[in-house]
Amino acid sequence: MSATTPLRDRAMDAAVVMGRDRENVAVGNEIVRHRLASRLIHWSVAVTFFASLFSGLPIWTPIFGWMATLFGGLSVCRWLHAWAGLAFTVASLVMFFHWVGEMVMTADEKSWIGPKLFEYLRYQGDESQVGKYNGGQKIFFYTAGLGALGLLVSGVVLWFPLRFPQIVRELAILLHDVTFILFVVSIVFHIYLATAAEPGTFGAMTRGTVTRAWAKLHHARWYRDVTGEK
Amino acid sequence: MSVQNLEIARSSASLIGGLSGIRSLPTVSKLIDTSTCIGCKACEVACQEWNDLKSVATVNDGDYQTLKQLDAQFWNLIRFDEREVDGGLKWLMRKDQCMHCAEPGCLEACPAPGAIVQYANGIVDVNPEQCIGCGYCETGCPFDVPKFHASTGKMAKCTLCVDRVSVGLEPACIKACPTGCLHFGTKEDMISLGNGRVEQLKQNGFPTAALYDPKGVGGTGVLTVLAFGDHPEWYAALPRDPHVPLGVRFWKNILRPIGLIAIAGAVVGAFGHYFNFGKKEVKGAADAETNLPQG
Repeated sequence: MSATTPLRDRAMDAAVVMGRDRENVAVGNEIVRHRLASRLIHWSVAVTFFASLFSGLPIWTPIFGWMATLFGGLSVCRWLHAWAGLAFTVASLVMFFHWVGEMVMTADEKSWIGPKLFEYLRYQGDESQVGKYNGGQKIFFYTAGLGALGLLVSGVVLWFPLRFPQIVRELAILLHDVTFILFVVSIVFHIYLATAAEPGTFGAMTRGTVTRAWAKLHHARWYRDVTGEK
Repeated sequence: MSVQNLEIARSSASLIGGLSGIRSLPTVSKLIDTSTCIGCKACEVACQEWNDLKSVATVNDGDYQTLKQLDAQFWNLIRFDEREVDGGLKWLMRKDQCMHCAEPGCLEACPAPGAIVQYANGIVDVNPEQCIGCGYCETGCPFDVPKFHASTGKMAKCTLCVDRVSVGLEPACIKACPTGCLHFGTKEDMISLGNGRVEQLKQNGFPTAALYDPKGVGGTGVLTVLAFGDHPEWYAALPRDPHVPLGVRFWKNILRPIGLIAIAGAVVGAFGHYFNFGKKEVKGAADAETNLPQG
């Protein structure tokens, strides 16, 4: 379907219509991977994450001080960061319970913690048995959930520092720092893998669909389950 | 004192800064001789008046101390303590206020550029225009001095009357002290004056008298003569060995550079991966184009 197709015809796009409330179904050459609710939850986490990131970085170091200008100065960041962070935590919590059922890890997927992750990154892994989510994605899911929890706990202390004793404040600063650094490193790879490294992936979070060929390549077992093909 | 200029030696959260090096200004200091303090609180009143601070409601809980602790509107507090020494009661007092550390923990912890500055003469000052009220300075301060002002959302503390000092006057508390237990001058002069007083105390039954100028914070701009110098904690919990909290130093000096390198490394790593391994896509088919539904 070309970009110039009138809107009323685009609304008839069968895969998009299907993707409003169903996923894991094949429509023509496409498979709906994330229904509308999943995509909205994902992007609400993403938007609140970046609002928190860009309002927090100028507080972290003056190297990123210029980012404060985006929001109207560092004093704005001081309260906006806290509220954006709270919104991020709420969105992350919704996302966690939305997906946790699909994120149960098999013994094979647990072995992704280690050399298997590097095999995957070298495009050398055997992925014939990969379901809807691979081991790396599941690990990232739990890492993000744990990270959001760490950021919330330490963030509340930093939001109201004078209500907590000295040692708690110091530990909160360190926990917030370590968690956020690991989070940003993970997000860099998350975005890279979903865009440049694996073409065809990004559409799963925008249009909601992937091609059959993409599914066969990256998530072979999921492809078989959805299509019934061998 | 000659007129001080207000060249800024150090500024919070600033990558650049420092002195021009043209002038050579002495570090100013206040000397507090607790052994001649009578607890009259004239310094408290002078501080409130000169700095135009509104009165804070007090509670009579049976002691002499005006407030339990410093406040955003109360920068100079005489603290009272009682100790039994050799069977006799000692009524000890100290002047709680900003110590104007040579290496200020508040300035190190502050994330707002220019919100806390250290002038060439050693005075550490809060600049309310730049302050974002995050409270990190209170975490960084080993003396629990900066206080948050709830209605303005800014931190406040003793300025060592920088406005008076910069025009050649002594701080208001010094001016008000009736016993002469407060002195003001160059740090060099105050150390020599303080050491003289310590010697006098030692010869008069206080063998452990000492000048409190803690090295953990690079020395302080407020020097204190303690008759019981081996027990600073007797003076309403004056810290024995204050230093910038370990958490703050670790965060700023170790964790932050590691974090910057890690984040930059992740970005470089992603690019490196792309150049080394390329894309992972369906072989032989430009799937994004040909496999989209037709019509």
